[in-house]
Amino acid sequence: MLLGLSGMNQDSQISFEAIDSSQAGDGGVENGALLSRLCEAMFYEDADDLASVRDDVIEIAGAEVLVDAVAVSANFYMMTRIADGTGTPLDAGTVEPSAEIRELVGVNNFTSRR
Amino acid sequence: MVVPRLGMAAYATELPIRPDLDASHSEIAARWAATGSWWSGMERIAIVGEVRRARDSEVLPPWESPSQVDGLVAENHLLPTAAVDAIWRITNHPGTLTAEWHASIMSRGISPEAYVELVGVVAQANAVDRFADALNLARVDLPEPSSVEPLRLADSSTAVTSHWVPTAQVKGPNVVKALSAVPFEVDSMSLLSSAQYVQLGDLLGDLVSDQNSLTRMQVEVIAGRTSKLNECFY
Repeated sequence: MLLGLSGMNQDSQISFEAIDSSQAGDGGVENGALLSRLCEAMFYEDADDLASVRDDVIEIAGAEVLVDAVAVSANFYMMTRIADGTGTPLDAGTVEPSAEIRELVGVNNFTSRR
Repeated sequence: MVVPRLGMAAYATELPIRPDLDASHSEIAARWAATGSWWSGMERIAIVGEVRRARDSEVLPPWESPSQVDGLVAENHLLPTAAVDAIWRITNHPGTLTAEWHASIMSRGISPEAYVELVGVVAQANAVDRFADALNLARVDLPEPSSVEPLRLADSSTAVTSHWVPTAQVKGPNVVKALSAVPFEVDSMSLLSSAQYVQLGDLLGDLVSDQNSLTRMQVEVIAGRTSKLNECFY
């Protein structure tokens, strides 16, 4: 949802493709598909895939981007576990504004919905 | 709570890890070894060790607990088996957690506040180790734990209102409120999030500024993709 708000604040034409899959496109975000691919490699932890995408990120965007992107993704291994481990409900003010986005991104069928 | 400053780099690498990011991981490791509100320093380090064992072992299906598998949890384990089972499940299958599962862990003798502290440490360890693993770095060393016993004092002002766990009356996003029964873990979460994501004050207050080498939209693509991969509805 913050992607949508950030895009609106910058008058950018963005979509949620890169959140859906690295195969779906950049979604209007610079290197969106590449960063999405990095997230997928971190999640599935295949050593060859990780090494390959690390090389690609360094070549295309630089080593600083690789480190910062890995740090952001890793942070959400913390946030998701806090939210799911404590039964955290959606914030009151976000339920309605995020309804369409949740549908688009396809999270409504997750077990963690509550 | 006393947290010893280690003053050592968390990582030895040629990768350009920002000093504040490296320092945050060193400080988090020191905080793991400190006496908690409900768990001792030895127990907190054991929690991190169990996260690592859960991640490095062959993944069990979500319906199977490590305590049900012969030989997987030592009889003299420092942690209660309910805690070990919770650590493995939160680490490997966070998207499958339900209120019934949480209630079953509570019914095995873990106090609500101790569970909150455990979730905080487990979540931090998952973040810090995932960072190191993804960059093919050695994971942060675990410091010597404090020998001081925790006070285990419940805050009577917390209550179960919106989450499965007791929370304090604090403002901010529900995910920040989630650990509020154990303020030390809120501080640890903020420390990591500020170094790895955005300053909590900028979460909604500044949606356009770059965050280090990334644009804010790139940051949110990564956040959204990672949350979806982890099947997190929040």
